[in-house]
Amino acid sequence: MRVVKRYGDDGGGDRVAGEPLAEIEDLRVEVGGRAIVDGVSLRTLPGRVTALVGASGSGKTTTGLALLGEFPVGARVTGEVRVMTDGPVGYVPQHPAAVLNPARRIAALLTDIARTRVRHLPRGRRRTAAREHVLRALSEAQLPDAEALLRRYPHQLSGGQQQRVVIAQALLLGARVIVADEPTTGQDALTKSLVVDQLAAVAARGIAVVLLSHDLDVVRALADEVHVMRAGRVVEAGPAQRLWLAPRHEWTRQLLAAQASFADPDTDTGADTDTGADTGADTATGAGAGAESETADRGDSAAVRLVQPILRVRALVARHRDGPRGTTVTVRAPELALRAGQCLAVVGRSGSGKTTLARCLAGLHRDHEGEVLLDGTPLPRSLRDRTREQLAAVQYVFQDARAAFDEHRPVLHQVARTAVRLRGVDDRAAEAEALTTLTRLGLPPELAHRHPGLLSGGELQRAALARALLAHPRVLICDEITSGLDTVARRGILDVLADLLGDSGSDHHDSDAAGPALVLITHDLDTAAVAHRIAVMDAGEIVEQGPAQQIRTAPQHPFTVSLMATTARLEAGTGS
Amino acid sequence: MTDSRRRTGRFALGVAIISVPLVLALLGPVFVGEPGARTVSFTLGDGHWLGTDFVGRDVWQQVLHGGRPVVLTALGAGVLAYLVALPVGLIAALTHRRWLEELLMRPLDVLIAIPSLLLILLVASVFTPGAVGLALLVALVNVPDAARLVRAAATEAAARPVVEALRLQGETWWRTAVGYVGRTILRTLGADAGTRLTGVLYLVATAAFLGVGVAPDAADWAVMVDRNRTGLFVQPWAVVVPALLIVALTTGTNLLFDAALERPGGRRVRKERRKEQRS
Repeated sequence: MRVVKRYGDDGGGDRVAGEPLAEIEDLRVEVGGRAIVDGVSLRTLPGRVTALVGASGSGKTTTGLALLGEFPVGARVTGEVRVMTDGPVGYVPQHPAAVLNPARRIAALLTDIARTRVRHLPRGRRRTAAREHVLRALSEAQLPDAEALLRRYPHQLSGGQQQRVVIAQALLLGARVIVADEPTTGQDALTKSLVVDQLAAVAARGIAVVLLSHDLDVVRALADEVHVMRAGRVVEAGPAQRLWLAPRHEWTRQLLAAQASFADPDTDTGADTDTGADTGADTATGAGAGAESETADRGDSAAVRLVQPILRVRALVARHRDGPRGTTVTVRAPELALRAGQCLAVVGRSGSGKTTLARCLAGLHRDHEGEVLLDGTPLPRSLRDRTREQLAAVQYVFQDARAAFDEHRPVLHQVARTAVRLRGVDDRAAEAEALTTLTRLGLPPELAHRHPGLLSGGELQRAALARALLAHPRVLICDEITSGLDTVARRGILDVLADLLGDSGSDHHDSDAAGPALVLITHDLDTAAVAHRIAVMDAGEIVEQGPAQQIRTAPQHPFTVSLMATTARLEAGTGS
Repeated sequence: MTDSRRRTGRFALGVAIISVPLVLALLGPVFVGEPGARTVSFTLGDGHWLGTDFVGRDVWQQVLHGGRPVVLTALGAGVLAYLVALPVGLIAALTHRRWLEELLMRPLDVLIAIPSLLLILLVASVFTPGAVGLALLVALVNVPDAARLVRAAATEAAARPVVEALRLQGETWWRTAVGYVGRTILRTLGADAGTRLTGVLYLVATAAFLGVGVAPDAADWAVMVDRNRTGLFVQPWAVVVPALLIVALTTGTNLLFDAALERPGGRRVRKERRKEQRS
């Protein structure tokens, strides 16, 4: 094991631009005989953003952490890591809350670090100097309203703000190299663009930023240089512009292609989307209106419109218990209808109440008023009171597939239980059916027999879908099932969903049933491209709903407009 | 490889340590033979392997006799406590009905407020409990905190999406509560069971010292420790041997629980895997 860390011995002061601040040469990290990172070389230049792109498990984080001198436990490391500045290397982790002490205010967290910078001053002046340092770092990290912010605790900040506080910490330390690990995973479009702005501002100050991400939109908006990683190796590296326009390696092309087809609704679901958009042609209804203003429009959809909705939501008001006394209303959904074979995307920022709405439908959130009608009969509020048929009719797929599986049992067994419990199939037949469904969704049998811990996030999400589908649901609710997956895995899941919708014509289970109605909860308009209809939520209200095409091309509500605009801006890559 | 070897090693060590007191306790009375005549208190040698105790009985014979009541009472009390605490804790954790949870847990809170020895003494002054009665009493004072522990651990597990997923699958209460939640909290329970056994032994011994459940001169490891400590510096074996046997019993149990609950593959591998996934 040979780790050479050579730190620059000059003061790290004025440095000719273009000279690298940190360098990795031929790094190889081996854990348990398997190379996680193999032959990676990297140079970070001041003021430049170097992006490491790749699917999860491709060795991005290991490479990024190597710059900090951190390696996995028991790893064999060869190669050189050189850091040429005297300051430390800053690290902004994926979940910034994890590195902020929850028991201390932001002021204390930052001042602790600032104090180390003012040791040379006389005692009397240290306090004010430290405070100046803190305020400067906050403004450099794009955190306005510092006074109020300093008094808060980490959990009182949004995820984006926490991230910026961590960046401020790194700046206070005098870090000249900052590693940002998946800064935008699970964030909505508006927050994403904020993150892009703030990292761009950091880079503009002459700091070398190393961006680890599988979010190609953000990479495109920020990166000057891109390294594409796969299975621990850099398969292609080069200036962002060149890589984007003329990718040389097959894998890069594949990554870019997966991304491109999200962005473009026409190539995405093809015919499904086009016909689907017509079937659900309601006019957009405003939030408070709640009117059943289903005017007869575009003629060819008349036949489909005769089909009664499977699920209807009437005057739904969901609450959350807020302390011992009162409750807070979090979601109001005056009217919502779902028809067989139709896909409704519920789009909104995080915290807008999308998930609460979906949980009300599935009976997972009992604290609500109003009615959820299945074929005209109201469903019990809690799923504990629902009959087997009602349970089977409305199925829910969770955001975090790993947390939704029992780690002690083989995946196949857990998937098959749905058929056993909800449809009364015997064990053997249920396992056979589970196996076919899993194979159809792209999970080979040898993986299905494993325990959840040995499957990747994308594979588990397929299994979770199969588990829900075995109930032969009439309504399938998918809660952010693609966030947290890399582009290729995301593409795979979205293909599966598109297939499900495509199945509606040629049904293979029951005689009269069409495919399930799909509810897609997402913050990501690209994911919503599969949908026929889109409902946009903001602050617990459905501000706009209508056919997907209409929402995408001619949004009415200002919030929808801003959401569309940010997405477009990210896609165009104008962030840097 | 090294993990599995370490696990087997720990298992073997646990078995070795626990087998001494267990074998003595279970088979001791069979091999003990006729009690000899009483001699002088606290002597060494003179045909007595481990000397004599405070009333001049042979310590070795007392050791052979004294295991069964301690081990059986302690194990019985521990198992009984969990038999009550597990269902109560699991039901309280998994129900959404506040009143049911209150109904199950509040009475236990009252019980927890009474010092356990006081309770035992109170009951003992009214009835004269035998060994079975003592086991029941000790189990009773252990139920409240065991139930609270089960509930706390189970509440955390019950809040996970898996439980919601299981409910959506229409899974039975038994499978959800025992098959998933119970299995998930097994490690916590194992750790608790190990320490609880020590506590139960201590309580049984103290009760014996105070004359509850056993005669003051009974052949009982716990009683031996208490009674013979006056002669500790004259004839240490009468205290050290039974004390060591009790220690071996608790240490061995803890080691066995640890080895049995350690997952194949071990903690280390899982940690590494998680790291790989993150990268």
